[in-house]
Amino acid sequence: MSGTDPSKATNVPKPGVPREGVKGVGEDPREQDRDAAEAPGKIWFRDLDEAVIEADRCIQCASCVAACPSDSIGIDEDEGRPTLVKMCTGCSRCWDFCPRSGLRYERHLELTREERGLEQPATYAARADDTAAEAGQDGGVVTALLAELIEAGELDGAVVAREREDEPLRGEAVLATSREDLLEAGGSIYNQTMGLGKIDELLAEADLETDDPDLALVGTPCMVQGATALDRYDHEPADPIALTVALMCTRSFEHDRLLARLESFDVDPEAVDGLDISDGTLRAVDADGDALLEADVDAFDAAGLRGCDECADFVGEAADISVGSVGSPDGSTTAVVRTEAGESAWNRAASALETTAIDSPDALEGLAEWNRRRAESILPRAFDREGSIGITYEHHREAYDGTDREPEPLNPARVHQYEEWC
Amino acid sequence: MSAAFSIISPSRLEARLESDLVTVVDVREEREYEELGHIPGAVSVPADRFRDPSSVADGELPAPGEFATLLSEAGIDRTDDLVAYGDDGGPLAARFLLTAAVYGHEGSLFLVDGGLDAWLADADRSHATASPSPAPTDYEATLRDDAPLIDREGVEAAVEGDAVVVDTRTAAEYEQSRIPGAVHLEWTDLLADGRLRGEDALEDLLAERGITRDERIVLYCNTARRLSHTFVTLRHLGYEAVEFYEGSLTDWVRAEAPEWDPVELQAQVRHYAANGGFEAMVDDLGEDVLGRLKLIGLYHQKQRGYFMLRTRAPGGRLTAEQARTIGEVANEFARAPAEYGGPEQNPVFGDGYLDATTRQDIQMHWIEIADIAEIWDRYDAVGLSTMQACGNSVRNVVGCPAAGLDPDETVDIEPVVERVSQRFLGDRHYANLPRKFKVSVTGCCEDCARSGIQDLGLTPARKDGREGFVARVGGGLSDGPRVASDIDLFVEPEQVDDLVAALADLFIDHGSYLDTAVNRLRFLVAEFGPEKFREELESYADFAFEEPDETLTMDYRGDHVGVHEQADGRSYVGLNVPTGRMGGDEFAELSELANDLGDGEVRLTPNQNILVPHLANDDLAALLEEPLLERYSPDPGPFTRGIVTCTGREFCNYGIIETKNRAIRWARELDDWAEEAGIADDHEAIRVHMSGCSASCAQPQLGDFGLRGEVYRDDYDSGRAADLGLGGDLGNDEFIDWLVGKIPIDDVPAVVKATMCAYDADSEAGESFTEWTRHTSNADLREIITERPARDAPAIGTEVS
Ligand SMILES: Cc1cc2nc3c(=O)[nH]c(=O)nc-3n(C[C@H](O)[C@H](O)[C@H](O)COP(=O)(O)OP(=O)(O)OC[C@H]3O[C@@H](n4cnc5c(N)ncnc54)[C@H](O)[C@@H]3O)c2cc1C
Ligand code: SF4
Ligand code: SF4
Ligand code: SF4
Repeated sequence: MSGTDPSKATNVPKPGVPREGVKGVGEDPREQDRDAAEAPGKIWFRDLDEAVIEADRCIQCASCVAACPSDSIGIDEDEGRPTLVKMCTGCSRCWDFCPRSGLRYERHLELTREERGLEQPATYAARADDTAAEAGQDGGVVTALLAELIEAGELDGAVVAREREDEPLRGEAVLATSREDLLEAGGSIYNQTMGLGKIDELLAEADLETDDPDLALVGTPCMVQGATALDRYDHEPADPIALTVALMCTRSFEHDRLLARLESFDVDPEAVDGLDISDGTLRAVDADGDALLEADVDAFDAAGLRGCDECADFVGEAADISVGSVGSPDGSTTAVVRTEAGESAWNRAASALETTAIDSPDALEGLAEWNRRRAESILPRAFDREGSIGITYEHHREAYDGTDREPEPLNPARVHQYEEWC
Repeated sequence: MSAAFSIISPSRLEARLESDLVTVVDVREEREYEELGHIPGAVSVPADRFRDPSSVADGELPAPGEFATLLSEAGIDRTDDLVAYGDDGGPLAARFLLTAAVYGHEGSLFLVDGGLDAWLADADRSHATASPSPAPTDYEATLRDDAPLIDREGVEAAVEGDAVVVDTRTAAEYEQSRIPGAVHLEWTDLLADGRLRGEDALEDLLAERGITRDERIVLYCNTARRLSHTFVTLRHLGYEAVEFYEGSLTDWVRAEAPEWDPVELQAQVRHYAANGGFEAMVDDLGEDVLGRLKLIGLYHQKQRGYFMLRTRAPGGRLTAEQARTIGEVANEFARAPAEYGGPEQNPVFGDGYLDATTRQDIQMHWIEIADIAEIWDRYDAVGLSTMQACGNSVRNVVGCPAAGLDPDETVDIEPVVERVSQRFLGDRHYANLPRKFKVSVTGCCEDCARSGIQDLGLTPARKDGREGFVARVGGGLSDGPRVASDIDLFVEPEQVDDLVAALADLFIDHGSYLDTAVNRLRFLVAEFGPEKFREELESYADFAFEEPDETLTMDYRGDHVGVHEQADGRSYVGLNVPTGRMGGDEFAELSELANDLGDGEVRLTPNQNILVPHLANDDLAALLEEPLLERYSPDPGPFTRGIVTCTGREFCNYGIIETKNRAIRWARELDDWAEEAGIADDHEAIRVHMSGCSASCAQPQLGDFGLRGEVYRDDYDSGRAADLGLGGDLGNDEFIDWLVGKIPIDDVPAVVKATMCAYDADSEAGESFTEWTRHTSNADLREIITERPARDAPAIGTEVS
């Protein structure tokens, strides 16, 4: 067995069939002229980068950031995307937990349902009291629920989202530890905040009294997929998460592009106080509640995250509780309570909510079904709730190469490798 | 500078084109200009002609004569109004305009907002393919006296407060390293959707960063490209006092920045030892001081506030007195605080231990800033140093540990090692190379200092009856392993330090300070090719290069364990220190023995072992009787003898698996098994090299079995694991191939046993393990490895698992 010299390799690369010992699609100078072949199945951040981030499929769920055991993945503040900030050891964990690559998210949803799901999930239309409903997007249910739980001492805080002060409509993750914080953070933010990857940082800033906090994590279904998957394997980053709340979602947006789209409708983003997307319409309102824009949400397609097209998890099946507007009257939130943890949280907060059970959530299921069919038609790989949870690099390449979602070469200038020990 | 800069929209350009008042310049590659088409009437002045693309490190301005020729060929006059565009969002076109301005262009300078893309966005416009064939002009270019260039001293002054220094690179780059005090304004911040933002938005952006019309503004990036776009934009907005730092961050980093001076740094750390310790140091100097401390041998551990201290032993040599000091320091200071387990921090070694490394250094953990001055005082008293044991400098010089002892030795390397060490120690210039720089010198014929994996490896050679060395360059293990190239260069022992300096100078000039992923010397060797590299190197050396007549390396020696005869008839004993770890008190005890029985010398080997030289017969017998040698035996079992590991998860931020305790446990178990299986006597050493992660600190590529930490996951469980490769052999320039990934860690001993059994059964008579792995196909080897017994459920989530 001699050192592998790629230039002498006889097996010419074929699409979808990575050569043994030679990985990746970009020209990583480190890969040239190497005298030892790489292990089959070895995955580096670079592979994730090329297959997901450079391929413009990243949904900014931050699962990889949370998963990396050496904290090698940071968040590029400008792009809001993961980026390598330290040496990568090639442990593959980021890949394993990325719902756009190594994590077969539909299998994960199936397994969590089997392992944690209530026999009969309950669906409600709910509305909080006026202050919370006022602050919230729909019925203010999330705001009220979390406030109750924090005040009852069940939770020490909740990772939610708030509009940044310096940029209109751009969200950032915050740790709310009081009702006031939550009221301030009420309402939907239509871009990702990478909250799952910021928990440590938020905790360090927050100075909670306890060393072993119980937090709620609120976010898009994909972020909840990553968080619950890490938890299934007892990985440390999920330890503080005691409750997950998914915001039902057909797509999230790229902040810059969203602003540009709004501007193209002659809407000044600075003037927009809130956005809402329901029934296929995007509405922007100003601080007085007057509509600045009502437009078909399809007109905003180009501003959506491309990776969202591959998502069939509209309702956020892995979450303890999912919330959305679909299927409830204006001013109410549709909530699905799915696990014991969700049920006990819901009951605990019941006094703060006006609830009506929805026995047959047809509208919700209809939208979920439409979303699933659409995702399946776009997803280059098979959608398989019974497949194994892990997707290898080679399988990914087989399914994605030759499609418009295939890996893109990495720009080496983006990778800053630090070296520490040797 | 008088030329006016403006940014012009495609529609305004269109209007001006109709009146033919401007010369339009396309800076894309010539091929694109010709084949894909261009804005009608544009001439081609490709960026690679007015910038030097081959070098990320050099200044970017072309020579004035070259630039004049270029513009003359393009039919441009000094008074023409120029409009430049490209397809990269603006920087290269801006770069062109800036270059013209610096060289005294008198006409106005326009940048097309949004470049070619914006031009083409309007469906009515199109590409032209017809190229004008301009008549050459007599363009003259001379650097303007008042060109807005600023040099390093100027930037230093600016940093001191007389200007706003602006970093135009990405936030990630800015976070990674920057000129102190610089504000961040990425050049793309000025754009939205590829076009210049509205003036109000721009003014806000600038004002937020303190960039105002009353201030002097100094711009930089990495290669003076991106800053050009910001420069043009600022001038367009009417900011007059804008300057740029042509050398950019590249130059800044390379220059001997005071914060990278090891001597200065050591003085600072000494100060904090007595004044507030770690927290005060970090408060005053910032978190990034932790990265720089490597330069003086301090690595911040994953446990905050504690450091690993690396002490260098050039050529592996220590006096007994030095060794005793190291042992005592470890025993006293390398102690874990109670919250990390105190005296029981490690189940095998307890507390107060040290590690011998594969580069003949000694490492110890849990060192606090408060204790460091005391430690350095003790070191100074016996002539030890931690300086440049780590960091991007000439590292500890590795030398053949049997130098001066071996009967077959041709050159005594001790003075060579000493000279190289002394020449670079504390030298501020060489303390800041693009990346670490490893040198080894071997005097015997067995390459025991591993020339193949060094940036510079020297092994014995002869020329016209003179003894000296032959040089190999560009080897290394991490980030794509590469065996060093022989450049057919003979050097005399007295020339070695000059050669190292020449190589370091070449490295400084050609290596990239920024792309740390690809800046080991070996990337330069690969890029130049060995011959061209040799030529280039010769231009840095102050002696003429010669070829050796004959090289003398015959063989490769794995280790020096056991009792060996010296040239003078006395003996040396190589003691096996499994994984290199030893109690500080034991190390001190050993140094006493070396003092009492030997000549007061101890040597470290590149296998994490220890050698005691100069023993007369009686003394040898006495040493062999010592109880300490039961644990650190000259005659260990084959696995114990061959085990090498890095620090691992216990202390390393990156380590995925715990290495040292596991390795010692395995070695014992495997030696017992080898004994039972009757193969123990067939092998001197079976070399299992285990790294905690895929960095190559334990040199897994050189082992019979190479392992590196991983994780695995199935549908229900996850746990720690290892990648496995077989058959590394530096003697034949063979690195392992990684054969199988993610073997659950507890399965590894069974895999080792199965492989040894297969070797025993399949190999031909006299065939070494490496030879066997080489003649067996990777597919067959994989099958041997993966046919493994069912595993138990993995333990997950334990602290040191
Ligand atoms: C990107 C996105 C797309 C959505 N698409 C749909 C849809 O198509 N159909 C539908 O029925 N519902 C959709 N929703 C959910 C809906 O907008 C409401 O969030 C939900 O109904 C809850 O309303 P509420 O008044 O009860 O919550 P609130 O009381 O307003 O509380 C919501 C909580 O979520 C936090 N939050 C808001 N945005 C984010 C974010 N991006 N990341 C993390 N935390 C956040 C807030 O800080 C707040 O704490 C979407 C939500 C998002 C964020
Ligand atoms: S070290 Fe981090 S970045 Fe690298 S493969 Fe592992 S999880 Fe991914
Ligand atoms: S999709 Fe999520 S896990 Fe995958 S790369 Fe993006 S942020 Fe990371
Ligand atoms: S559509 Fe799916 S992938 Fe996109 S943000 Fe929503 S949950 Fe995430």
